[in-house]
Amino acid sequence: MRTVRLAWRITRLNFRAQLEYRSEFLMMVAIGAVWQVSVIVFATVLLTRFTGMGGWDSSDVLLIPATRMLAHGLFVLFLGRMHGIGYFIQEGRIDTCLVRPMPVHLQVQLRAFPTNALGDLTVAVGLMAGALGRSGLDWTAGRVSYLVVAVLGGMLLEAALFTVVASAALRFPAADYWGSWLEELLGTFGSYPLNVLPKAVGGFLTYGLPLAFVAYFPAAVLTGHGEGTGVPYWLAAASPLLGLLAYVGSRLLWRWSLRHYTGVNG
Amino acid sequence: MTAALLRLTVQVVLVASLWHGLYAGTGTTAGLSRDQAVTYAVLAVLASRLRELDQYTGRDTVIQHMHFGTIVYWYLRPLPPRRYYALRALGEQLYGFAWAAVGYAVCLAAGVVRPPASAAVAAVFALSLLLGQWILYYVLLAIDQLCFFTLRNNAAMLILLFAQNLLSGVYAPLWFFPDWFVTLSGFLPFQATLSVPLSLYVGRIPLSGAVAALSLQAVWVVVLALFTRLVWRRAARQVISQGG
Repeated sequence: MRTVRLAWRITRLNFRAQLEYRSEFLMMVAIGAVWQVSVIVFATVLLTRFTGMGGWDSSDVLLIPATRMLAHGLFVLFLGRMHGIGYFIQEGRIDTCLVRPMPVHLQVQLRAFPTNALGDLTVAVGLMAGALGRSGLDWTAGRVSYLVVAVLGGMLLEAALFTVVASAALRFPAADYWGSWLEELLGTFGSYPLNVLPKAVGGFLTYGLPLAFVAYFPAAVLTGHGEGTGVPYWLAAASPLLGLLAYVGSRLLWRWSLRHYTGVNG
Repeated sequence: MTAALLRLTVQVVLVASLWHGLYAGTGTTAGLSRDQAVTYAVLAVLASRLRELDQYTGRDTVIQHMHFGTIVYWYLRPLPPRRYYALRALGEQLYGFAWAAVGYAVCLAAGVVRPPASAAVAAVFALSLLLGQWILYYVLLAIDQLCFFTLRNNAAMLILLFAQNLLSGVYAPLWFFPDWFVTLSGFLPFQATLSVPLSLYVGRIPLSGAVAALSLQAVWVVVLALFTRLVWRRAARQVISQGG
């Protein structure tokens, strides 16, 4: 309980620190929004120029970027400081965290307030409202609950992927290169029905880099496309649970990597 | 190097697959056939390699130099900062060009991209690509020059980079966007960095329109050269060394 109080206090201080430069604060909110708008722009262009995607109609397709974007916004707000940690490690600042009593992972998460998450979440909530408004589905309590769990699962899966990269960065600070690539892949291919891609490519984005589990599979289950995803229905339906398992696994990897951390100067 | 190769290969395969998939049930869209769209998208991925060197990890970005105070060395060396910056960018672009050229040769051999329709198209494309990279150099320089005037400019830089990606046609060819968007982008330099050379390559801008397109690019080169030259002068009076 004391840790929670401390974390809340640090977050408030970080938020006030961000407000020190007002124009920078507002622009950071804006940048979160415009990056997400780029996904909407791309999706809108594709949906207006092409007749649906992979047998999905446009309202069903919209549920994929809405789910991914909301999961991404929550990831940035709560667990996003794992992304870009290579610079933190490279500059030796993580060494200071090692000698403090608070867990290193928590210290890393509390190092700055993610202002851009406010922009991310604003656009994401708007897109989700739009997707639900256009949806012809009957939103029963079961569907709504599954959607909530899917968003949380997507957040955890994205956090797991970036925690794996962060664990690698403890040994190889330049591993952040993979983080920026991961972000690019999630932004480009995490928002569309992956059945438009050839099977081998779809398989890579399912079993190689599990991007399909972030939003595509949960949206497929919700919209009745769960049988045509190329994986067993139960596996697609279990996406949120996989997100949780992946996150637990990545945190164990982080702890192991931290025990073997030797510092950039040896 | 292995990482860069793997990333480039995967990105090319994914982008080509996406556009093939999108065109599966459609013919020509926005004046672009499937082959033109795939070629455009793959060339856009290869072109993005030209300025992708990770300067941040090497602590060699202007904002990092400002933060750590090392920017002062730019003004202590016998080489003027403007020339140093230009030579550094030239080296980066040549390195990126080697990657893009090899990638292009492999894609061409594998049939992923179509060759230019004629030698004249190839020549016009090469000239347009050169002008486009020249404009991109000035755009990135202008973004870097912002650092001299504002202590924190991460957000402004990200917004400009976003504008560059969106308005140059990296996310999707500009031809797919509504008419008002294409008209608006015509007044900005970003489309001249990538969209114009690639449109010439795939034939979306015919050879008869090449002179107008190349002239517009040349105008942007001159305008941005004059603008950044002026800013360099003012920047020298503005240097703040935060970490020094």
